Amino acid sequence: MSPSLIAHSLGKSFGSGALRTDVLRDLSIGFEAGELSLVSGPSGCGKSTLLAILSGLLRPDGGRVIALGEDLARLAPVELERFRLRHTGFVFQGFNLFPALTAVEQVALPLGYLGLSNEVALKRARVALEEVGLASRMQLKPAELSGGEKQRVAIARALAKEPQLLFADEPTSALDAANGQIVIDTLHRIARTHGATVLCVSHDPRLATHADRVLAMEDGKILSDLRSPADPTKDMSR
Amino acid sequence: MVPLARKTLVHEWRRFLPSALAVAFSGLLLLVQAALVFGIFNSSAVYIRKSAADLWLGYPGTQSIELGRPIPREAEIGALMDPDVTRVEPFHWIDGDWRGPVDRGGVSVFVSGIDTRADGLMFADVLSPDLRAKLDEPDGVIVDRADLSKLGLGIGGQAVINGHRVRVVGVGNGLRALGGVNIVTSLATARRLDNGDSNGEVAYYVAKVRDGADPDAVARRMSSGANAPRFEVWTKPAFAHRAVMYWMFETGAGLGVLFLAIVVFIVGAVITSQTLMGAVAGSIREYATLHALGIGFDALRRVVLTQAAWVGAFGLVVGGLVTAAVVFAAQRRDIPVQLDPATIAICAGLVMAIALLSGLAAVRTLRHADPALLLR
Repeated sequence: MSPSLIAHSLGKSFGSGALRTDVLRDLSIGFEAGELSLVSGPSGCGKSTLLAILSGLLRPDGGRVIALGEDLARLAPVELERFRLRHTGFVFQGFNLFPALTAVEQVALPLGYLGLSNEVALKRARVALEEVGLASRMQLKPAELSGGEKQRVAIARALAKEPQLLFADEPTSALDAANGQIVIDTLHRIARTHGATVLCVSHDPRLATHADRVLAMEDGKILSDLRSPADPTKDMSR
Repeated sequence: MVPLARKTLVHEWRRFLPSALAVAFSGLLLLVQAALVFGIFNSSAVYIRKSAADLWLGYPGTQSIELGRPIPREAEIGALMDPDVTRVEPFHWIDGDWRGPVDRGGVSVFVSGIDTRADGLMFADVLSPDLRAKLDEPDGVIVDRADLSKLGLGIGGQAVINGHRVRVVGVGNGLRALGGVNIVTSLATARRLDNGDSNGEVAYYVAKVRDGADPDAVARRMSSGANAPRFEVWTKPAFAHRAVMYWMFETGAGLGVLFLAIVVFIVGAVITSQTLMGAVAGSIREYATLHALGIGFDALRRVVLTQAAWVGAFGLVVGGLVTAAVVFAAQRRDIPVQLDPATIAICAGLVMAIALLSGLAAVRTLRHADPALLLR
């Protein structure tokens, strides 16, 4: 199976002159569909930058990203937006939900921009919320939801678009153990049942046991790349 | 489509209130300023507008009513000879020095000598037939209610104009004009007050044309007569416009006001954009998330501009209501204020422009935000 998301010798640095720091150094890696991959490492190791570049939010200084067979560097900003709209979902640590909208509206909002009618968007939003276990909370606004529920709304928002690529940046950092568990299980299930490529960036050690693949990162490089022992069906020597 | 802009406005109205108030105050300032400007400058044409005359005959090139010079009697004869003119009336206009009660000193006044008949043209709209009849009393004068305190006396009070004793026989409303106190009297009294300076000539003749006749055509015809170079003929709107334009653009006051309007616009735009940017910045992480999900800046800009338009509309309504209250209060105190639909439309357009420009400025904060930094 060929990787759905490939990075070729990525380089990225911030700052200028003597204060310039390399965040990513000649980093190459591939991710496969149907897997939940976890990138872990200390803060400042470059894992969030890697995620931003792989998802097309940030352009690398050097190297290329091939996502779903598309070279992201060749896409104009508007084309990149359209690519993200069609193919990618995001989940962030801070949930980033609109305070004014109910759960079902949060999820339906991006679908409207995909050109779906109100009716279809709301229907798909309900299905996505049911999938993350929030069938009874659809009409509530963020202020009436717990942290874990808010993160599940955010996941449903990403999921409802039926993305082939799902990116999660520290999705469990703001959650307690039980809610963190629910969230990572949900992400894992999405990878399995939807065949999506799920890339999760976190320094939360609890997540490692739930991932299909764990990558350790430090100083802009991948130090180790391990398949989960809990998943013997996967072949390590790819 | 989920109505994000409207739902956010309703849910987080406290965040948008400062912007709406900034818009409201910008609107209030623009409108009240316009009302004052037009009120003040239009009062320079108050004599023309509040009279029933269709045509004005005056000294060639006269810019504003108080700059009148005596014109020859041939003007009156020329007007009377025109087949479409039904009535001609002299209007005497002289400068005066008013001496009222001892402790007041002198006051510069303009004296209007008018035909006192009940159906007279001059001041037909402001002086009732009763009041006009009172002017037939020798040395009787009428002053504006708002000028009474300045002149220091009431009805029945006596004063001296240009060395002649006069008596206040009545009080009018809406006689106040730009540039001085206006005193209305009969033609006979006015002639006594000018000490023979004008040799029996008056500054203006006013004329009424037959119903259905075109005043412009009559004015053109009279202007081409043999005596035309010695006087000029204007229609009522043309002469009024001339007076307002003179005060607005030839005196420097109007340009000052225009400059002030520009300052108000800029200050309003800066304050509104700052507050609106604050309100938009409050949702910046959510917008950045939408952008990450592939929703383009154009769509996000539409959301913010929709909000800006609602903020502008709300501010406009509030500003409009407060302006209406201010204008009403000003009118009750005889402060000259005037607003016409065109002015209101222009001010409303400017206020909406302030709101939308501020919205565009607020979108810039969105554009320059780094998604990778925002999205944590």
